[in-house]
Amino acid sequence: MEKPIIAITLGDPAGVGPEIVVKSLSDSKVYEVCKPLVIGDKNVINDALSFCNKKAEIYIVNKPEDGKYCQGIIDLIDLANISMSKLHKGTVQAMCGQAAYDYIETATELAMAGEVDSIATTPINKESLRAAKIEYIGHTEMLEGLSHTNDPLTMFEVRGMRVFFLSRHVSLRQSCDLVTKQRVLDYIIRCTEALKKLGVTEGKMAVAGLNPHSGEHGLFGYEEVQHIEPAVKEAQAQGYNVVGPISADSVFHQALQGQYNAVLSLYHDQGHIATKTVDFEKTIAITNGLPFLRTSVDHGTAFDIAGKGIASEVSLTEAILLATKYSPHFKR
Amino acid sequence: MEDKSILITTGEPAGIGPDITLQLAQQALPIPVQIVALADPELLAQRASELGLSVQLHTYDPLKPVQKHQAGHLEVISVPLSQSVKSGELNAANASYVLEILRQGCQACLEKRFDALVTAPVHKGIINEAGIPFSGHTEFFAEQTDTKQVVMMLATKKLRVALVTTHLPLSAVSSAITPKRLETVIRILAADLTNKFGCQLPHILVCGLNPHAGEGGHLGKEEIVTIIPTLNKLRAEGLQLTGPVSADTAFIPQSLSGVDAVLTMYHDQGLPVLKQQGFSKAVNITLGLPIIRTSVDHGTALNLAGTGEASSESLYNAIEMAWGMISGL
Repeated sequence: MEKPIIAITLGDPAGVGPEIVVKSLSDSKVYEVCKPLVIGDKNVINDALSFCNKKAEIYIVNKPEDGKYCQGIIDLIDLANISMSKLHKGTVQAMCGQAAYDYIETATELAMAGEVDSIATTPINKESLRAAKIEYIGHTEMLEGLSHTNDPLTMFEVRGMRVFFLSRHVSLRQSCDLVTKQRVLDYIIRCTEALKKLGVTEGKMAVAGLNPHSGEHGLFGYEEVQHIEPAVKEAQAQGYNVVGPISADSVFHQALQGQYNAVLSLYHDQGHIATKTVDFEKTIAITNGLPFLRTSVDHGTAFDIAGKGIASEVSLTEAILLATKYSPHFKR
Repeated sequence: MEDKSILITTGEPAGIGPDITLQLAQQALPIPVQIVALADPELLAQRASELGLSVQLHTYDPLKPVQKHQAGHLEVISVPLSQSVKSGELNAANASYVLEILRQGCQACLEKRFDALVTAPVHKGIINEAGIPFSGHTEFFAEQTDTKQVVMMLATKKLRVALVTTHLPLSAVSSAITPKRLETVIRILAADLTNKFGCQLPHILVCGLNPHAGEGGHLGKEEIVTIIPTLNKLRAEGLQLTGPVSADTAFIPQSLSGVDAVLTMYHDQGLPVLKQQGFSKAVNITLGLPIIRTSVDHGTALNLAGTGEASSESLYNAIEMAWGMISGL
């Protein structure tokens, strides 16, 4: 089978993106399974190679199919949008916000045209985007806008466990109000569709409980009885292979042992704690619902350590490997 | 050092509480403690024969000096069942028996007749079905000992996690976290870490309530309104507190270095982590009570009762933890 081409965006040039990219691309595991193509800036990569003490030839390509894709060569689509004399590592700069946006825009265009199979992204900085007057507040919103899609669905994966979120960036109190029968049912359906697109058609999904011990039959909270159980029953009646609610202190434990193909968690920290605590660096976000596959590291630009060559590339390597794993199955 | 005496409440009679108590009694223990069980002796005898265990049951004599546990023997304080029990089958008629065990155990420790109380699991549902409101051991002992605020903590050898709120609907957590409650919980936690766990200047890592600990108020205001001011007030008194931190990275190794306990705002913020890391190795501890109380971290496992498949590991860990706390280790 042909190795998939994975576009890797360089991220905010002032953050740890460039160094984790050059470190990841010195790992033979990556080249064994895929064709990594960096979307970035040549000078920034050369700089990262130098302070990370890595050696590689940079090969500039115009079309993804022209890349050499062998270890020791970094294939690059060079947007040449950074002036090195103005680049200050670890600081918010409009130039960098704009550059980070340009990398994502180019990667999205290539993915939409089918010239690359998937995108793995490195961190961008929200403040830098704002400084560059980019209207999007984050990565996901940007990809959503550039690909003209609506409401993408984030999934985390770590050690084979897949976790979806009923809600994410809202307060804990608000996330409780978002647990309604209709939403849970919608998410069971959307998550099942997302899994199908990734080629995951076997196994059953579990829905987590909201309250301690899933409310113990209404003793501590009514959402299980009034909303979650009816939603799961309705989904089962419609033919979905789903179980729940299962209390948070069991469901992730069971998922790690392979009992479920995915867990629908009901609020941000429920799913985040369960995944990141297993292995923080290998917890990877996959954005579903886009016309292409996108994986992402779940750490930030780490301005405090950027440019020192000490940032760990484990997460990016995992994101590239995961994009590779799903690329052959991904259905647009 | 004088030997210590630990009282076990055997919990739900149809569950594995009697099983694990008997399994433990059959073994020799590596620590010098006396073990006394609160149960119906007939239930224990019947369960022992079901399990094929030969444990000699003795009526506990308070006048005899404390004697270290001997393998194959168990001293029992008799509490009669209302109706006979079939392993694995709940019966609301015995809910009063379960609560009587808890009452007697609590009283005996309050009167210093025993050094610590270790509890086997009860079944909250059947007690409530019997018409007695009951939300958990922790709450029950708080009421029995007239303690206004207790703190539930779970601990393995590596990690201690304490909770600001316990068995509450998640939607009620936000309003339950008041400055007063948070302050009291932190004071109890810090004092018990010093007195019962030998931490001289305990370092407590405090989780935020909201995603990303509220992200400067964008994802919830509780951090700004309640948590941060309370922590600052207590820091000014010299307490060593870090936080509020984002809960999703509170439990990664880098965050935990040098930390004596993690304080979480709600039940599922911390307990799933502990269970995942040390299933059946975690011990449940109630801080702030006038007695020392520890518990197993599992439920009644009705389907395992009488089968011999239950493990007494968690019960032993709870006893060992209580023994350490008595000595202030």
